[in-house]
Amino acid sequence: MAEERTAVLESVVDHGTDTRSFVFRIPGGLAFRPGQFLSCLLPIGGERLIRPYSIASSPEEPERVELLLNLVPGGPGSRYLFDLAPGATLHFTGPWGTFVLDRAPDAEAVFVAVDTGIAPIRPMLHRALATCAHPVTLLYAASHPIYRDELGALDALQLHHIAPAIVEQEVRRRYLERDADRSRHFFICGVGDIVPRLRDLLRGGGYARRAVQYEKW
Amino acid sequence: MAKVVVRFESGEPERVIEVDLRNAPFQHDGRPGSILDILLAHGIPLEHACGGNCACTTCHVVVKRGGDRLSPSEDNEDDLLDKAPGLTATSRLGCQAVIEDNDAVIEVVIPRYTINQISESHG
Repeated sequence: MAEERTAVLESVVDHGTDTRSFVFRIPGGLAFRPGQFLSCLLPIGGERLIRPYSIASSPEEPERVELLLNLVPGGPGSRYLFDLAPGATLHFTGPWGTFVLDRAPDAEAVFVAVDTGIAPIRPMLHRALATCAHPVTLLYAASHPIYRDELGALDALQLHHIAPAIVEQEVRRRYLERDADRSRHFFICGVGDIVPRLRDLLRGGGYARRAVQYEKW
Repeated sequence: MAKVVVRFESGEPERVIEVDLRNAPFQHDGRPGSILDILLAHGIPLEHACGGNCACTTCHVVVKRGGDRLSPSEDNEDDLLDKAPGLTATSRLGCQAVIEDNDAVIEVVIPRYTINQISESHG
C-alpha cells in the first residue's frame, strides 16, 4: 500500500457559504502535479475513511498545501475537516490523480470550473499561463466565486464568470455554435452530473475525446 | 455464491473468495458488489486512493476470467483506465466492476505496482 504521510493544519480561510480553504504544512514538502489530489485518511466513527481532496495550491510551494472544500450536508469527511483546529494533524497518501496539466496544450486551453471545482483548476491555470503560447480561458460557473481577486489580476487569462445554471448553454454557445474551431483543449471540474454532461456535449460536438479532460466529484 | 479468484503479480499466494452478492454492499468503498467492495471485505487491501469513487486508477485490476459477468464499463471508467499504468484489453477499475451473476466465477490479477503519478513522471 501507499506510503502514509502527515500534514499539520496551519490555517483555515473561511470563504463563506460553508466553503473553506485548509492550509496544511507538510514537513519535507510534497512533490505533485497541478490538478492532483490527496487521499486523506480520516478517523471517523472508529474507522479510517478515505476522502480525496484536490490540491488548490501550486507545486511551486511544496511545503504548504491548500485544500478547498465545502461542507457537505451529512458528509462525515468534510464535517471532520471543518472541525479541525490549527495544529491538528492529517494523515494522507498521495499525491494521486491523472487530471493534471504539466504544460499548456498546443492549442487554446479552456478551463471550466463549477463551484469548488476551481480547486484543482487553480494550479493548472497558473501552470498553463506560465507555459502557454495560445489563449487560456476560464469559464467559472459559481454563485460565490473563490479566488476572484487573484484570478482577476491574471492579465493573460480570459476570465468569464457565469451562473452555474447556464454553464451548458454557455459552453454550447461559445465553443460549439460560435465557430467551427475544434482544436481547443478542455479541462472541466465540478460536482455531479454536470461534468459528464459537458464532456458529452463537447465530444458529441466534434472535439476529440482526449481533448476533453475532466474530473467528476 | 459467486467465486472470485485473486492472483497477485507480486507473488503473494492466490486467494479464493466465495460471496453471496445478495448481501452487498460488504463495506463502504466502491460500488456495492464491486470487486473492490468484495476484496476489501475479505481483507485484501486493494489500493483505492479516491475512496472508490471512480476518480483515480489505483484500484486497477486485470480480469482474466468472467469479464462478461461484470457490469459494463462506462465512459468515466474508460477515460481513467486510458491513463492506468499497465493497461490491458481486460483492465477494469475494481471500484466500478460489479459482479452481476451470483453464479459467476471471476478471476482477477492485481498488478504489482500502483504507480504514483508524480513518481512516474519525475523519477
